Amino acid sequence: MRLLKLLVPVFLSIILIVFDTRFSYLDNFKKFTLTLLSPIYVVVDLPSQVIGWVNDKGADNDKLISENDYLQGQLIELKVRLQTYNNLALENQKISKLLDSSYEIPNHDVKLAHVKSISQSRLSKKIIIGKGSNDGAALSQLIVGSDGAVGQITQVTPMYSTVRLLTDPTQHMPVKNSRNGIRGITKGVASNANGMIIEFVPLDSDVKVGDIFLTSGIGNLYPSGYLVGRVTAINDTIDASFLSISLQPTQNMNKLELVLIVKEKND
Amino acid sequence: MTNTTHLFLLIKISIIAFIIGAISLPSFLELISPFWLLSFFIYWLIYSNGKSVFTSAFILGILLDVLQGGILGQNALALVLSSAFILNVKKSFFVSNITTQQVYIFISTLIYLITFLLIHSLVNGLNIKWLILLSPFTSALLWPLIRLLLAKLKQ
Repeated sequence: MRLLKLLVPVFLSIILIVFDTRFSYLDNFKKFTLTLLSPIYVVVDLPSQVIGWVNDKGADNDKLISENDYLQGQLIELKVRLQTYNNLALENQKISKLLDSSYEIPNHDVKLAHVKSISQSRLSKKIIIGKGSNDGAALSQLIVGSDGAVGQITQVTPMYSTVRLLTDPTQHMPVKNSRNGIRGITKGVASNANGMIIEFVPLDSDVKVGDIFLTSGIGNLYPSGYLVGRVTAINDTIDASFLSISLQPTQNMNKLELVLIVKEKND
Repeated sequence: MTNTTHLFLLIKISIIAFIIGAISLPSFLELISPFWLLSFFIYWLIYSNGKSVFTSAFILGILLDVLQGGILGQNALALVLSSAFILNVKKSFFVSNITTQQVYIFISTLIYLITFLLIHSLVNGLNIKWLILLSPFTSALLWPLIRLLLAKLKQ
């Protein structure tokens, strides 16, 4: 009888493992249960919320004024840069029309989100951000930081979203070389906290150390043109079918505080 | 203790285990930290005489899987198998000194870890950070502290 009591949950667990890895029937159950459990995230996040609130209230007036001046300066500098970008975009449109090209400069909406000090599974590289389905966050959206792509939303609750980092071994992202457009797919490396590799780049491809790879937007799952990483090493073993390219993410994943959720404007 | 009290204690310590497990730690500490839910569940299993051990382990494991965004059933299976071991040595565990209890905790965490890593490797390949292998040691080392804190909570 005791053996039966043990075997039933064991078999149920195995069935769940198989179903969860092969099919998506359980996604709604997971979403519903995670929403029920999300108060746990609220409790875990409470101390950092309180510390943030106290810091805001106790901030020195002079410090705030100087910070404001600095940010105003940054804003003006970015506006000037944007003017150049707008001119380039117009030029690009004209040339595209002349060449009868179907390429269009992507138009993206972004939403700012705070990274929460909440941890998930110890074997995966994930972060939790303070924007959920209530704020328009949705599955598969791209997350970027100030220096490049960060990862992809894999779970959404009304208040929080889970982002799997590009450096996670199970996260794949289609990328292209900014120099010559050579395409590949990135994958995280478990043994290196901040390492990635690019797969499926043919052996004779023109890739050099220092090349920058960007999101390619292939499959229309991710917006294109965001920085992903810089090539740090290339290994062209003769018996392999593809190059083995090591990539260092342009975004430092350990210093994330604020990130942007990116989505196409026509979504 | 009535059945309701056992259940209430289980809910209480499970919530605490979920909260402690979700606190963000530096990567090194996160890898070697104990499997909190397992340690807390073992305490409940030994000191509260609760019924439906395997069903409770299964449900809590599923909740942990959902909370961690992992493979559904992974923690559930690991928790059920570890509970089966502890249930087998329950009488001996109860009367043992703290060092012997730590040995039992080490073995049960090892069972948990092996099951956990086996499923992870079958699904995601052998992408494992080896520091995680230290977690049975930290679970055993921290057991006296966990036992003390949960005893205070139980009162």
